[in-house]
Amino acid sequence: MTSNPHQYISLVTSLPHLGRLFSLKELPISDFRLKQRLSMLEPQHAALLKEMVEVTAWAGVARYDQDAEVIRSANRIIADLKDYPDLQHLVGARMETRTLIAALRRRRNGQESAGDIDNWGMGRWCASIKSNWSDPAFGLGHFMPWLSEAYRLMQSGDHISMERLVLTEVVRQLDHYGTMHDFDFEAVGIYVLRWVIVERWTRYNEADARDRLEALISLALKGPDADISLPKPQGFFSDTFSPLERSSS
Amino acid sequence: MNEFVVALGWFGLYAPVALGAIGSAWGCALGGSAAIGAMLDSDGGYGRFIGVSLMPSSQVIYGIVIMFSLQQSQVDAANGAALFGIGVLSGFTMLFTGIRQGEVLASAIHASKAKPEIFGISLAPAAVLEGFSVFALVFALVLAGSIPS
Repeated sequence: MTSNPHQYISLVTSLPHLGRLFSLKELPISDFRLKQRLSMLEPQHAALLKEMVEVTAWAGVARYDQDAEVIRSANRIIADLKDYPDLQHLVGARMETRTLIAALRRRRNGQESAGDIDNWGMGRWCASIKSNWSDPAFGLGHFMPWLSEAYRLMQSGDHISMERLVLTEVVRQLDHYGTMHDFDFEAVGIYVLRWVIVERWTRYNEADARDRLEALISLALKGPDADISLPKPQGFFSDTFSPLERSSS
Repeated sequence: MNEFVVALGWFGLYAPVALGAIGSAWGCALGGSAAIGAMLDSDGGYGRFIGVSLMPSSQVIYGIVIMFSLQQSQVDAANGAALFGIGVLSGFTMLFTGIRQGEVLASAIHASKAKPEIFGISLAPAAVLEGFSVFALVFALVLAGSIPS
């Protein structure tokens, strides 16, 4: 499936520049407007984009109970993206980043080994995580320096800086592939994935974050049956849930 | 054999117009698509977006000028090959520069929407491509003067 160049030129130029991630105070384009513009997509591309957002954004992943289901879903989407290798790499890289963060959290929570990593992680680094479980950066620190920093921030309990670090790494991956695409489906996909991150960050609010943290602490203390109401996702692309909210994955 | 050369001559005579028109149409469509998209995301400056998107129109005009300069009282075996060579090659130049100009204009419109202050400088690559079209035009005119009639 190829992109119609004229259609995608109009679509890409109709999307506002997202700017720098952490300096934005408000969204350059709302969820409603974005969906309106994305109606220019070919139906097959719209379906692919929806799948891709569902597996990369936390709002989509939150509906799965088991990590293995997320992995199955990610593998299916990677297969569906066979005509778009850069998007395949992006989804794969995103899942690998998520696997690394999950491994850091599991170790912090006292897990003594990687265990059955095939059921909760995916990608190239699973073997290294398994064989270097006691290493702060799982033996990957020499070419992923952010991992050592993530370990340090997680140990110190600086969750906001940790979130910034992870989002910076994800945006770096998006920017890397974004430079290779100007006016095609990949460019639109990368824009939407970036928008999801920007949307989440701009919605962060200190007071809300404090309330959320308190609610999560209560949830952790009362156990899984506790009746705690957390904000729900507001739209299809809205990525309300932060990876910090999950304790083990 | 002579008939074949004459046929090539006529082919070369019309090639700059036909290929130039294709290049202009393609380039304007690319630039125009970007301008239309940019207008959806802008509150003003529509005229400049549409204005620059029409830049690739010049290729078909150059093609028409080349065709008139190549026009002979009679196309025959003596001038057929020259008309073919000059006409087809200059036509392909117009085709290629027209399409590429449309692409760089689309990028310029997209970039200047995010950063309006670069609007002028972002047109420099399109202007350079226009320069290459003008080179092809001028030297086609020069060579047209030495075709045996």
